[in-house]
Amino acid sequence: MKIAYYPGCSLHASSAFYDVQTQMVAKRLGVELVELEDWNCCGATSACKTDNFLSIALPARNIGIADASGLDELVIPCSSCYSRTLVSQKVLADNSDLRDTINSELTKKVSGRIRVLSIIELILKQLNSKDFSEKLKYKLEGFKPACYYGCLLTRFPYDIKIEDNVENPQGMDIICKKLGAEPVDWNYKTDCCGASATVNDADVALRLMSKIMKDAIARGANCIVATCPLCQFNLDAYQDMVGEKYGIQRRLPVYFITEFIGLALGISDKDLQIDRHLIDASGLLKEIKQV
Amino acid sequence: MSSATVKFQPEYSQPILQEIMEKSGQNLLSCYQCRRCAAGCPVSDEAGVTPDRLIRMIVFGQKDEALNNLLVWRCVACYTCGERCPNNIQTAKITETLKQMSKKAHLEALSPKIASFHEAFIKSAIDNGRLSEMDLMMTYGKKNAQHELKKGGGWKAVIAELKGQAKLGLALYKKKRVHLGSEKVKNLSEIKKLSKKAEELK
Ligand code: SF4
Ligand code: SF4
Repeated sequence: MKIAYYPGCSLHASSAFYDVQTQMVAKRLGVELVELEDWNCCGATSACKTDNFLSIALPARNIGIADASGLDELVIPCSSCYSRTLVSQKVLADNSDLRDTINSELTKKVSGRIRVLSIIELILKQLNSKDFSEKLKYKLEGFKPACYYGCLLTRFPYDIKIEDNVENPQGMDIICKKLGAEPVDWNYKTDCCGASATVNDADVALRLMSKIMKDAIARGANCIVATCPLCQFNLDAYQDMVGEKYGIQRRLPVYFITEFIGLALGISDKDLQIDRHLIDASGLLKEIKQV
Repeated sequence: MSSATVKFQPEYSQPILQEIMEKSGQNLLSCYQCRRCAAGCPVSDEAGVTPDRLIRMIVFGQKDEALNNLLVWRCVACYTCGERCPNNIQTAKITETLKQMSKKAHLEALSPKIASFHEAFIKSAIDNGRLSEMDLMMTYGKKNAQHELKKGGGWKAVIAELKGQAKLGLALYKKKRVHLGSEKVKNLSEIKKLSKKAEELK
């Protein structure tokens, strides 16, 4: 099965190992990811904050490329890119004037045929197939993750319907259970990590992350698992700072969901580049058992 | 900070209310002040103003207050308020609109760091078609330093900030999470066309 793939800028820079993992995991699951040709930055939240037109037009160029690819689905692992692309698609479906204006500037026009998937949706589709269970070589026993969805997987600034529960999503929890991990029930699943505020408004971001960390620890989690490169980066790179400022002693490794699946599929931690975490993520790996 | 007393100024309220409703696409008049948004807003402590208050200021025509409060800048666009609002009002769209209006009116941003960050981000994204994290941090750092010096923080403040960044940068570098190169979109002229169009429409 072929699916179009939009990595986005983070996966080609500070979270390059997430790109590597996504590609490896997809391949093992029998999915061929076809990277969008000559894709561009979606503009992320910064475009919304500075320019309404660009916030729709930048993702629109990628949507046009995807629409012209002949493929039916487009997977976007970064939550921000995922959200901005869905929003652009929705706005252009509702506003034909704007669609015409943008299309007149594009070589590959937006037609609205591509279906956008998050990485969770992509994995869930594979999960139910019979041979998925056969491919699982290891059990993530001893992993008690706090599944962290963040803001942008379930909440949108437009009327966009998703299949998961908005305030208490389950997709990642379902995947974790299937892999033998025991996700904890907690309150900060969809709270904000502060996003770019870690850089430009640190007081806000550190406080928001302190609440996430405290609840995850209080609920008995021994790690966090995320899908968004910015959420992962923030909780990983700033966790020491948060801990120092808010008196939190424990540190939790912050995994990508692709690391969980990769490990369960038998991909080595070296190939998955799990050594790129700032908070050591190797300790828990000893718990993994063969199926 | 406690929120300022709200005064009704009908002669001023209409133009600003209409402008913000049009630009943000939000129907502010449907707000009935139930404050579900306020209960969920994660930055209300730091902002001192909650979404319902901001909406009231606008409805009552308090243009200056609406443009000059920290929610406009510190809103993290988490969309919690909009998700929970019984009338589907997305305050993040209102704060975005106010940021753009304040820039257009050449007002000094209440949080210059936040303004500089987003401008640096979009500049890098347009210049190359893809964001360069290095470019972003350089442009942002420069703008920040200029601002810090202008407001009289002196080099001490600039150096303190740079030190913090360097420490994190080094830790990231060791973990191979710093990417020095930058990628460029091949069809960059198409990105430039979109950005030119954006300027025309402003
Ligand atoms: S939740 Fe909606 S209706 Fe209620 S106060 Fe907030 S904006 Fe107004
Ligand atoms: S989107 Fe902005 S205003 Fe709304 S809850 Fe989040 S931070 Fe508060």
